[in-house]
Amino acid sequence: MIDTIISSLRAVWESLLERLFFLPPFPESIDSLALFSLLLVVGLLIGEWLHAHAKWPKVIGYVLAGILFGPSLLGWISIEALAQARPIADAALGLLMMEVGRRLDLSWLRRNPELLRSTFADITLSFAAIFIFALGLVGLTPAWAAATAAVTMASAPAVVLLTVEEARAQGQVTERIILHTAIGSAASFVAFAFVLGIVHAELSEDWLNAIVHPLWVVAGALLVGGIGTWLALSIARALPKRSLAQVFVLVACALLAVGIARMLAVPVFLTLFLMGVLLAARDQQQTLRYTELPEGHWLLAIVLFVIVGASLPWQEFTWLVGLQALGLLLVRAAAKAGALAWSGGSLPLPKRLLVGLGIQPLSATAVFMAYEIASLYPEVGRSALTLPFFAAAMMELVGPALCRLALQRSGECESGDHSRGGIA
Amino acid sequence: MSIKSLEAFKDSAALSLGVELELQLVSRRDFDLTRGATDLLGSLDYDERFGEIKLEITESMIEISTLARSTVDGIAADLGGLRDTLRQHCERNNIGVCGGGTHPFHHWPERRICPGDRFNDLYQRYGYLAKQFTVFGQHIHVGCTSADDAIWLTQALGVYVPAFIALSASSPFVDGVDSFYQSARLNAVSAFPLSGQCPPLNSWQEFTEHFAFLQACGIAQGIKDLYWDVRPKPEFGTVELRVCDTPLTIEQATSLAALAQSLSRWLLRTRPALHTAKQAHVARYNKFQACRYGLEAMISDPVNLCQIPLKQTLALLLEKISEDAKELGCAHWLDPLKQMVEENTGDAAWLRDQHNLHGNLNDVVREASERLMRKDNHRQETKK
Repeated sequence: MIDTIISSLRAVWESLLERLFFLPPFPESIDSLALFSLLLVVGLLIGEWLHAHAKWPKVIGYVLAGILFGPSLLGWISIEALAQARPIADAALGLLMMEVGRRLDLSWLRRNPELLRSTFADITLSFAAIFIFALGLVGLTPAWAAATAAVTMASAPAVVLLTVEEARAQGQVTERIILHTAIGSAASFVAFAFVLGIVHAELSEDWLNAIVHPLWVVAGALLVGGIGTWLALSIARALPKRSLAQVFVLVACALLAVGIARMLAVPVFLTLFLMGVLLAARDQQQTLRYTELPEGHWLLAIVLFVIVGASLPWQEFTWLVGLQALGLLLVRAAAKAGALAWSGGSLPLPKRLLVGLGIQPLSATAVFMAYEIASLYPEVGRSALTLPFFAAAMMELVGPALCRLALQRSGECESGDHSRGGIA
Repeated sequence: MSIKSLEAFKDSAALSLGVELELQLVSRRDFDLTRGATDLLGSLDYDERFGEIKLEITESMIEISTLARSTVDGIAADLGGLRDTLRQHCERNNIGVCGGGTHPFHHWPERRICPGDRFNDLYQRYGYLAKQFTVFGQHIHVGCTSADDAIWLTQALGVYVPAFIALSASSPFVDGVDSFYQSARLNAVSAFPLSGQCPPLNSWQEFTEHFAFLQACGIAQGIKDLYWDVRPKPEFGTVELRVCDTPLTIEQATSLAALAQSLSRWLLRTRPALHTAKQAHVARYNKFQACRYGLEAMISDPVNLCQIPLKQTLALLLEKISEDAKELGCAHWLDPLKQMVEENTGDAAWLRDQHNLHGNLNDVVREASERLMRKDNHRQETKK
């Protein structure tokens, strides 16, 4: 239908071109700003509608909008448009990852050893369980099984952060979900770097790339993140704390780091996560500690999740892969719940299990990581990583709801239910 | 809520002391108030050797209360023990604890009422006032040997309410702005219908009749409904002074307890004329003066029909009660108060200094939180 409309428009336009010489040639592709606003409006409408009518987290609506209008279904968002919108998605993911990095409070682990135990158990059990499942039950090679585990072991920082913000949740379950997500992400990035080397070694036996590529990724992300941190802190020190100017400096330095990372083919999610961690660690004078991202980052987040939804390869869906992905998610869920239950500690078991439920989301970071690894050897990578793609695709739709449920059950959401008198 | 008949006054040891401090629970990330009291108490492993740690009306508050002690040093030891227990436990949960009468910049609609029938009843009855009641005070209990003594002391201490307000004032910031008050906290308390002064009553008999009258009119159900500045507490056998802001240090809280004990001894020993009916006319004005100006307040004297600077009366008062303080073994706890009056300093001034230094209120709370957790604040300040 779209093609018919466009071809009739083109015909009219070209006939006018002969008479009206000021007209430009018929636009062959949509302008980036127009695309941005279209993705924004479509995502926003569906997200808000689902939130208002079904109380679903808005993130699910954004992803659904992407799936609906993406190449897999209606095709209104073409593959070219997705590539064109990628910088916006990178910027959105980068800002959210920086925020998660800033919230990684390692000193809490020092003060509370039980958290060290539970985060370590979460990381190791999740990786091991997914690796064994992918290797033994699905039959992937060790390299691709490791890649699958690296990509899917951690929770989704962007989803968790947005769900917490949307629910205005506060409390021990919320704080521990954020901590587990941040530490899980850090561990998954380390595993990701190792996996890059393993994939090179297994597929091309190219030892130079197998060693240098992971180093390039880690050192590059650290360097770019470090430069972004140094720049942000140096400039912000000259400005009043919590001023709008500081917010602009923080966002500008983050976007600069996103841009440089893209230029050097260093993963944006890793670079900005490290920048966030460094910002928190190096900010001895609390220069940017209290400076929050502007509300506007929600705009970017909407576009990010519409793009993630549109990027999911639903056209490659088969029932076998669907079942395998479901199996992976169940194994992963059991590993996370088991880790939280086993680790013990001061938080009662039901609340620890809620933490386990809250860290189930799997989303943009996993999809982007999978694309990074798959792009190394496109001829085999894409099919070898179908499993994590579909696990992420299914969790895109369920994860935010699970996270929201955990926050609600913990009684830590800001209640709008006045009849209950604000009682938790 | 059911109507409770007034309990019999339980006589307690003369001048025994107990202190309650309401403390702020803050996020260690941005030092805004955070919700965490229920989880904190739920996982608390503590044998109550120094007193109790309890919930308060919202999830961002926690109350510590000492055991009943005969000496101020005993109160200091309990407060130190409670502070250290709370610090250890809060660190495990990544929560900061802070003194001060108000949180300088929290957004009151974000507060959550704690679970429990009493708190729910308060929320249903007072609506948003209950959430705005996220302010933090120090309550001091002084033991009395008889119910009539308790009523007399309630009236006698009422005259000194401005002194306690000025010496404890630690709430200059509200809603992110400087209120110009030294203690803005009491403005939140004033909104409640049964706040203010105890009426001019002369005996326990008159008090029970007055309370029965309030019950019959449907105004008060229990003694807890009386948010008076000073009130008798029959189940403890004490008089409870309720006007102090929670100071920024437990040392200052201890000094205020020392003042309450020494002053009570002096009052009960010398039994000065009270002029309660006349005092009732100026009590609200004097309270406002102390809240607004702190030690710079001008206090109305309804007997001599003049105004006297609070600083002047405080310096004289501290001299007058020094013998009693020596007898009670707490004279050394009054020295920091004398120094405060001489130098015209205090917690409100310290908070404003921190704000001038850092230019933002997040850092003010961070510094205040570190200050509460620091040991020997008085000694360190003396060295400076």
